[in-house]
Amino acid sequence: MNPGVLTDEISKKFAEKLSSKITDQLNTGILIVDTEFNIVMWNSYLQVHSTKVSNDIIGKNIFDIFSELPQRWLSRKLASVLQLGTPNFCSWEQRRHLFELPHTRPITTDCEFMAQNCTFLPMQDDGDIEHICILIEDATDVCHYQGQLQKALDKLALMSRIDGLTQIYNRKHWQESLEQEFAKARRHEKALSLIMFDLDNFKHLNDHYGHQGGDEVLIEISKTIGSLLRVEDVFGRYGGEEFAIVLPETPIKGALELAERICQTVEKSTITFKDKDINVTVSLGVAQLSESDTSFETLIMHADDALYLAKNNGRNQVCSAKTTEFLQQASA
Amino acid sequence: MNQLRLTEDEQDCLQELINVAMGQASDQLARYLDSFVYLKVPSIESVDADSLATTLDQQQSAMAVVSQGFFGYEGIRGEALLVYQDEDSERLADLLGYEPDELSKDEQLIDISSILTTTFLNVFASQIENQISYSAPKLLPSRANSLSEHLDQLTFNWDLALKVNINYQVTDYSFNCNMVLLIPETAINNIKVVLNRILEEL
Repeated sequence: MNPGVLTDEISKKFAEKLSSKITDQLNTGILIVDTEFNIVMWNSYLQVHSTKVSNDIIGKNIFDIFSELPQRWLSRKLASVLQLGTPNFCSWEQRRHLFELPHTRPITTDCEFMAQNCTFLPMQDDGDIEHICILIEDATDVCHYQGQLQKALDKLALMSRIDGLTQIYNRKHWQESLEQEFAKARRHEKALSLIMFDLDNFKHLNDHYGHQGGDEVLIEISKTIGSLLRVEDVFGRYGGEEFAIVLPETPIKGALELAERICQTVEKSTITFKDKDINVTVSLGVAQLSESDTSFETLIMHADDALYLAKNNGRNQVCSAKTTEFLQQASA
Repeated sequence: MNQLRLTEDEQDCLQELINVAMGQASDQLARYLDSFVYLKVPSIESVDADSLATTLDQQQSAMAVVSQGFFGYEGIRGEALLVYQDEDSERLADLLGYEPDELSKDEQLIDISSILTTTFLNVFASQIENQISYSAPKLLPSRANSLSEHLDQLTFNWDLALKVNINYQVTDYSFNCNMVLLIPETAINNIKVVLNRILEEL
């Protein structure tokens, strides 16, 4: 049934000799314990890495020799191997290490001990399980690269949400957030407002100071306005010189107050570019989600209409959407 | 695909083997857990490649999936997936005999999965005079679609999945999970040979 088993006496002796050579060459730690968890055998990998001496450990209890092991938990785990006759496992992903062993990359990685995958195998002898073989494999590399990969993925995830120039949210992420906030506001019957705004005469500014000057203005304005917002507000670059802010759980009154504050703050602030002072203004449109709005796009449309009104009325001012029923409440 | 399907006799025979394996496994478990384990007769369905992801996605409510590969002689091999719903895993540490602060929730899921899979398959293997080894169990990342992604990335093409619904009741609380055994074509043929050998002996 079992191929590879050598029956002949000579081959048996040879196999014994060979297997001890192999176990001592392996890059895997091997530790064999009996049913009382006393150490019966180990290989040289473990001897080298644990800097312990054979004479001191053979016959001793594993928990006395490796005092770092979580005794209660590991005893229970080993008991499952003895009782059920099945292998059990412990991965670095759940426990970075069991045995405190040094690893081969102490400089390039930030972990103190070798990350390990451990396997606990039942060793059957005439039907009874009398020993457990513990295999310890070095997973430090995998652990290290997994960490690097995760960092890179987190960075990518952030980059895919951020506008490269202004470092605020990009259009795609902003719109997804609005979509979510729209659903939340509908579900929980909460207020939701939107501010859309635009830098006044931006084309003129670009012509006068060059595109680098224009970029500097976009960056500085984003910073200034960002500092006026709450954490839950979602501030994004809608396109070109147009921006938008989603204000969850905010009725139009609060949104109008914030819009006024933005308008005044921008008007008062001065941006320095190549030793020249640049003064800019913004026009803002504000809208609150109403019963009749069937989608988040309708809300954008209303805020956009209000923004055009602010532009047409002479810029540097705030207008709110005409259609909403909230205006009377706001002025009352 | 059609010739891979089991005949009615083969299906019955397999059901019987699984019942016995599950019975013995739960007996061992009861001793290990030091508690009475009541086991319902496991229900078995064979699921084809196309519909497995759909079947499992229907029970999507924040589930956890633990996967573990197995391989034995004569090309019997595959992968076991243990699928849990959120509420299934409330008191696992208790069930396993650990203190809750000794191990994380993930570790509890992996531990019970490995125990269920290996005790069950060990008994199953001994019934068909085989011996099975296992790879380390892995918890799949808890994202939507992670199961379908995982199925796409398997190292073998599997042609048949056996979905075994396991239901354990342990004295004062119940524990549920689905065990799905993914088996490649060659392994199915080998199992069929074994099933027919057993059927002939009857």
